[in-house]
This record gives sequence, C-alpha cells and structure tokens, in this order.
Amino acid sequence: MSWFSFHFPDFALSFLSIIFEGIPFLVLGSLASGAVEAFVPRETITRMIPKNFAASIVVSALLGLVLPMCECASVVVIRRLIRKGLPLPCAITYMMAAPIVSPIVALSTYVAFRGQNPLVMTSMRMLLGFLLAIGIGMLVRDIPAEKLLQPSMIDALPNKRRTGLSMAVAGDDSAPDLVDEGVRGKLFRTIQSATADFLDVTFFFVIGAAIASTFNTAVNQALLVPLATKPGRSVVTMMVLAFALALCSSTNAFIAASFQMFPPSAKLAFMLFGPVFDTKLFFMYGAVFRRWFVMSLGIGLFIVIALVCTHLGLILDL
Amino acid sequence: MTSLFNRWLPGVTLLVWSAVLLFFYFTGRIASYLQPSFRVNVLLAGLAMLLMACCFLFLPAVANCCDEERCGHPLGRRKLGRFVTFLVLILPLAAAAMVSPNNYSADVVNRRGIVTNLDGLARRNGNRVPAPQTASTDNPSEPALPSKDGSTPAPTAASTDTSDADQYLPKSKDGNIVVQVIDLLYAAQDTSMRADFSGKTVETIGQLMPDDSHNASGNRFKLMRMFMYCCAADAKPIATLVEAPSLPSQAEMSWVKVVGKVEFPIEGGRVIPILKATSVQQVEPPEDTMLY
Repeated sequence: MSWFSFHFPDFALSFLSIIFEGIPFLVLGSLASGAVEAFVPRETITRMIPKNFAASIVVSALLGLVLPMCECASVVVIRRLIRKGLPLPCAITYMMAAPIVSPIVALSTYVAFRGQNPLVMTSMRMLLGFLLAIGIGMLVRDIPAEKLLQPSMIDALPNKRRTGLSMAVAGDDSAPDLVDEGVRGKLFRTIQSATADFLDVTFFFVIGAAIASTFNTAVNQALLVPLATKPGRSVVTMMVLAFALALCSSTNAFIAASFQMFPPSAKLAFMLFGPVFDTKLFFMYGAVFRRWFVMSLGIGLFIVIALVCTHLGLILDL
Repeated sequence: MTSLFNRWLPGVTLLVWSAVLLFFYFTGRIASYLQPSFRVNVLLAGLAMLLMACCFLFLPAVANCCDEERCGHPLGRRKLGRFVTFLVLILPLAAAAMVSPNNYSADVVNRRGIVTNLDGLARRNGNRVPAPQTASTDNPSEPALPSKDGSTPAPTAASTDTSDADQYLPKSKDGNIVVQVIDLLYAAQDTSMRADFSGKTVETIGQLMPDDSHNASGNRFKLMRMFMYCCAADAKPIATLVEAPSLPSQAEMSWVKVVGKVEFPIEGGRVIPILKATSVQQVEPPEDTMLY
C-alpha cells in the first residue's frame, strides 16, 4: 500500500465532518467576541484587573472563563483590550490562557474525549494551560513594551504611559469605544463584529480541516505507528502536527481524540501547543509582536510542553 | 466596491454556510457525519448563521469591526484578502457538499486499519444493543462494561441475574437476535455477553471486506462497520469474522445482512467472535451508516 493516495470523496466526507463538528463552536466564540466588543466598556476591563502584579496575572489567566475566545479571536481581542487599558503582561497572559482555559474549550475537550478519560484530559489541559500562561505573563513583566510590540502597534497607540505594573497603554481617548447606541444597536454591532471574527477565523479553520482530512484519508496511518509508540517521540510528533494543522482551540480536541494510536500525553501536548502556537498564529502574532519575541515564544513553549507532557506520560502512565 | 466586500460577500458566505448546514441536518445526511449529540449543534449554528446573513442581506450591516489602520483581522485589511477569504470559505465547502458520500471507500478503510478486537478502541455505548446489567460481575477477572460516559458501572443486586438475557436483546421478526458488529467484539471480552450470544442465531449488517489474516480455509470474510467517537473524521473500521460455506459473491464494501450462529473460539491467543453464517444477503445501507 502506497504511503499517500488522495481520493476527493473520502476527503470530502472527513472534511465536512470536521467542519460540522467544529463550526458551532466557532459561531459561539465569534458571537462571544462580538458581544465583548459591543457590550464591555474599557472601564470594566481595567476594574477587573487587581493592582497587585501576581494577582493581576492570575486573574488574566482566568479571564477566559468569562471572556471565552479561541486563539485567533484572542489575538484580535488583546489588541482591543490593550487599547482599553489592560497591562501588556496581563494581555499576553490572557492571550495564552483564553484559548485553553475557557468553558467552551473545557466542554469541547470533555465531549471529544468521552470514553478516553474525559475528566482527566480536560482538567490536565485546563491546569497546564493555566500554569503556562501564568509563567509567560511573569516572564514578560520586565520587558519593555517597545521591545515586545511591533513599532506599528506602539505608534497606533497614542497616550502610552506607565501604569505602575509595567508598560501598558492607556485607552486612546480619541478612539471610539462604546457609544450610546441602545441594546438594539449593540446587538447589531455584536453581529457585525462576530461576522468579521467568524470569517477570519473560519478561513484558517477550513485550511486546517483540509490538511487534517488529507492526513486522515490519504496517508497510510501505519507509517505513524513507529512514531506513536515511544513517549517522547509521540509527544513531539503530535506537537509538530498541532503546529502544522493549525486547528482552532475550541475544536482541536476532537482531532486529538481521533489519533487513536497516540498516547494521552501526546494528545495533551497537541491540545496545549496548538492553541498557543501554530502556523496561523505565527503570522498573527507577528502582526502584534516583534519577530524575536514570537520566535522565542514558539521555541520556549515547544520545549516546555514537550518536557512536561513526556514526563507526565511517564509518571502518570498517560 | 466597498459595499461588495464589507456587506455582500460576508452575507453570501454566511448564507451558503447556513444552507449547507441546514441541508445536511434536515435531509438526515448529518447522521453519516456526526454522532447524535452533536447534530443539534449543526442546526443551531445553521440558524445563527442564517440570522447573521439576514442582517447583511436585509440590513445595512458591514463586517468591519475594526477601523482600517488598526484592524486585527489579517485577511480583512485588504480587498484581495477579503476576496481570497470568500473563495476559501465557499469553494471547498460547496465542492465537498456536492460530492461527499455517506461512506468511506475501501481504500480509507484499509489505510486506517481494521480493528478486530477492542484493545485499541476506547469503549462507548452508543447504538449497540443494551448492555446486559449482568456485565462481568460473574467474572472478577474481566472489567464491567463501561457506561456511555466511559465510567464503569457499579455492580448491583439486580445485575447478578443472567437468566433473562432474551428479554433485553432485541429480536428481528424472524426471532433472530439483532446485534451490531461491535456487540460481538464486546462479547469476545466479556464472559456473560458471550453466554448471551454463544450458539444463538443472530443477525447483523455491515460491509463486506476480504479477510487476509485468519483465512486459511478460504471461506472467511470480514463484516465491517465504521465506529465513530464524534465525527466521521475520527471513525475507525471495526469488523467481526464471518465464516460461510462459500465466499459471498457480493462486491467488496457491499452492505450485507448476515444471519448465523456466533462462536467464540480462541485464535492467536485470544478469544475472537466468529459468525457461522447460514445466509448472506445484500441489503440497502442503514440510515446510520456509522456506529458510535
């Protein structure tokens, strides 16, 4: 049997099933993002963040529980949140945590792993995602915003000032925030904003689903067996796949669960790394952050997640 | 031109997506793509997108959440990006919806590898026959069958009664016990289920596949079904062996109904189910082509 044989009807069946499974979560996430845009004033954001740095990072890592966003939307949202006064370390922490520590992701992970220790996989994913985000938030504390953000980002944010915790950007008073447009107007704006997010994110989701379906139907999966058997190798393989497939965080658990031959630790690595660093995020991060930071973030996350998941696999027999 | 990119293309995109989702839901074709608990999500998403599309088509909505200079949508900043987005969102979906079958080809089945025992398959309790309450409690060395959420049910007083198996096993009008392929794989690992099925006449349907590995006598074939956890993308082919007086004439991947008696011999160091067929008939594909 050849290693690759593409048959479009088989591809179409797999492709549509991933689309049908994931798109409701994308619609839900986009509507949530639109609602934040339309209904949450910047004062609310700044009030939610404690003055103490450590507490502010922890709160930011948990913000995804009330402002759930998939990874694409979170990149979009932090730009808006920074403009609304969120300190940069908090924004980065939120950007890292929201695609994992969110009720939508928890629900989708639990559902996807039914029959495969759903409670363990969901709680491990939430906990490790939470700790990773906090770690990154702590690390960027002392790095000036000018070294992290793209110059165009800095330039686009007038009235920047230090807020006491770190370099943050005050709300741009000249920028329109929430005008008094009534509930009907806000709902209308929610749909407009949700549609913009939906189209943008679904573009990458379609490409990811197409790559995943090609892999699922055209590649002889017996070739992966040698890669799936060794703990360290299986974790790294799944992380590379997560980077290449660029799946949405709200749906990638379903893909992870379908890789039957891989151990849970490798699936966990797939679900931790993909939502915070993949092909599409590499480009999207580059629109906000300087290249050195994006590269360092990717390499650092890869090493840490690979080591943690490999050791968890060995210690907990995952 | 701005109106085209900001209003009409997003509106049309949402409308096409909504139409595809609702079409698959209302025609029942969704059954071949998703397991039941996900299907209602498709309906809700289709309706939500229809509502969003109406806002663009009938109200002056524009998909322009950011101001031009600070837009966080990488594809939305340029007209070319918006046009490419439109093409990528519409063309693959439309093409896939037009040609997508309800079953995988034999090529995909072989590439995924047919599972003939449950060792590599996470256990679920979807559309298989109701698990007997007696599961394994008479044999401490074997685990009880898990419930739908994957947890293992605790033994109960009632669960020790094995005498009325015929009451919970569904029967055809011919009096045969109706089973799914996966039930026989479960039974191979469970003493009490084996007792329920062993030596009894059962009938089941599946797709015919040749058997190359257990077929010294040349009269065995595999009866295969796709087993999905969530969606067709994660579906795994599972099969039980069928032994017939002669190999059936139907083509590979044909849907057949097999009637016969179940036996559980030990081959290759483990218990396997073999259906000794008395009849093999070609049938129409079932409504749910996949097991879950």
